[in-house]
Amino acid sequence: MGREIYAYRCRKCGQLHYPYRMVCRSCGDNEHNEFDPVPLPKDGTLLTFTQLHNLPSDFEVPRLKLGIVELDGGVRITGQLDVDEPRIGMRVRGEVEVVRRVNYDRRYGMVFREA
Amino acid sequence: MRDVYVVGIGITSFTRLEYPLSEIAAYPAMMALRDAGLRAVDHLYVANMGGGRVNHQTGLASAVVDTLSLTPAGAETVENGPASGASAIKEGFLAVASGMHDVVLVTGAERMREVNNLEATDFVATLTHPLAEYIYGVTLPSLAGMFTRLYMEKYGVTERHLAMVAVKNQNNALLNEFAHLHQPITVEGILDSPEAMTNNPYVAEPLRFFDCCPVSDGGACVILASREAAEGLGKPFVRLAGIGQATDTHCVHEREEPTDLLAVRSAASQAFDRAELAPSDVDVAELHDAFTILEIVESEEVGFFEKGQGHLAVERGETSLGGRLPINPSGGLKGRGHPVGATGVAQAYEVVLQLRGEAGERQVEGARVGFTCNFGGFGNNVVCLVFAREG
Repeated sequence: MGREIYAYRCRKCGQLHYPYRMVCRSCGDNEHNEFDPVPLPKDGTLLTFTQLHNLPSDFEVPRLKLGIVELDGGVRITGQLDVDEPRIGMRVRGEVEVVRRVNYDRRYGMVFREA
Repeated sequence: MRDVYVVGIGITSFTRLEYPLSEIAAYPAMMALRDAGLRAVDHLYVANMGGGRVNHQTGLASAVVDTLSLTPAGAETVENGPASGASAIKEGFLAVASGMHDVVLVTGAERMREVNNLEATDFVATLTHPLAEYIYGVTLPSLAGMFTRLYMEKYGVTERHLAMVAVKNQNNALLNEFAHLHQPITVEGILDSPEAMTNNPYVAEPLRFFDCCPVSDGGACVILASREAAEGLGKPFVRLAGIGQATDTHCVHEREEPTDLLAVRSAASQAFDRAELAPSDVDVAELHDAFTILEIVESEEVGFFEKGQGHLAVERGETSLGGRLPINPSGGLKGRGHPVGATGVAQAYEVVLQLRGEAGERQVEGARVGFTCNFGGFGNNVVCLVFAREG
């Protein structure tokens, strides 16, 4: 069973949010926590990307590709890219994997590969 | 509200400083007190972002007020990320404008070189969203890199335009004795020469080494006073005429149009409205060029140029010293350096110096109106200031 990352759907207006926020940005009308968690789609389109050469000191790789992906359905997410030659507009598919270790704790996030 | 004037200014060298954070904050304050001819103030605001995390020192303002022997004046630390400096100036403005105080001292300081560059980058990266950005290794350069790629795609900005900003600002910094970088560069040297890939490597593609500001230590100070208090001091009247502040989504990916910096647009327009001035009235500006792309985009969002036209103004030399609207005559964050908590105050220092006509070789002739944009996070908390010379 794969891990999921969740978007949050406003119970008042249906707007999807990622990441979590306490008040809906769209209708502003809900009390806090009036959201239903919805697993994020895994497929999407690459909006922009970078290859980072100066990583924070806890990363043990020399370079890291990062991107912003518009997932099918419209929610956007920032994630890591495991793609040799990224292109704006390319189709990608995400998996939830360990993206960072902070004080030996594993942090899970979305890693995208060419679809 | 009462009018508020800048009556004293001070600054340290921006570089690696081997003295404690509290003294980096206090030294420019001493300079500013001497500049104003004052021995006492009613209140202090100390702008700093990383004392608790980088220097293992909290409650910085309490240390600074005592090291200056200004107790029992009230004092507090203002933390608003890289916009801490202009935020502290805003607090000082409100204190004087409201009539609560007559003279307040605003000093900003940062000591980032106490740790290595990667730790300093990680410290600044703690500004990003902890769960949706930071965990991936997102840093400010990586957000700027992704932003730059979109801007290039959409508006035709090239690496050459970015290099022109770097060259302009580092050359301006040669005229500023307090600047961090005193290294002349050319577009040919950092882009076209056989050594370009080694002397100017990629940091966060498409941004290269010379597109990014250095990591600096430094402090800067301005003293604000009511008209009545300023009149006795004999300084040129430079009024803090307008302030604007705005925020945007924490995550960059949530912005509807990711090439817009809406907080910059809104903060600038509020500042101009309050000053009853327009972008076309500005003679000199200090923009927050932590990355070269930001100077170009901010110059559009604050209203100096049409959206998508900023890089063309750079190309035409309009933003160079001697151009129609010199931007970052101090060298900007790129050349002067970027001790995060001090930057907003250092921008104000430069503009006041210019409006007084005391900027020496980098003086913008006859400057009467100055503007600063202090950009926190990746554009999610922005403070803009408008200054006007009177008399």
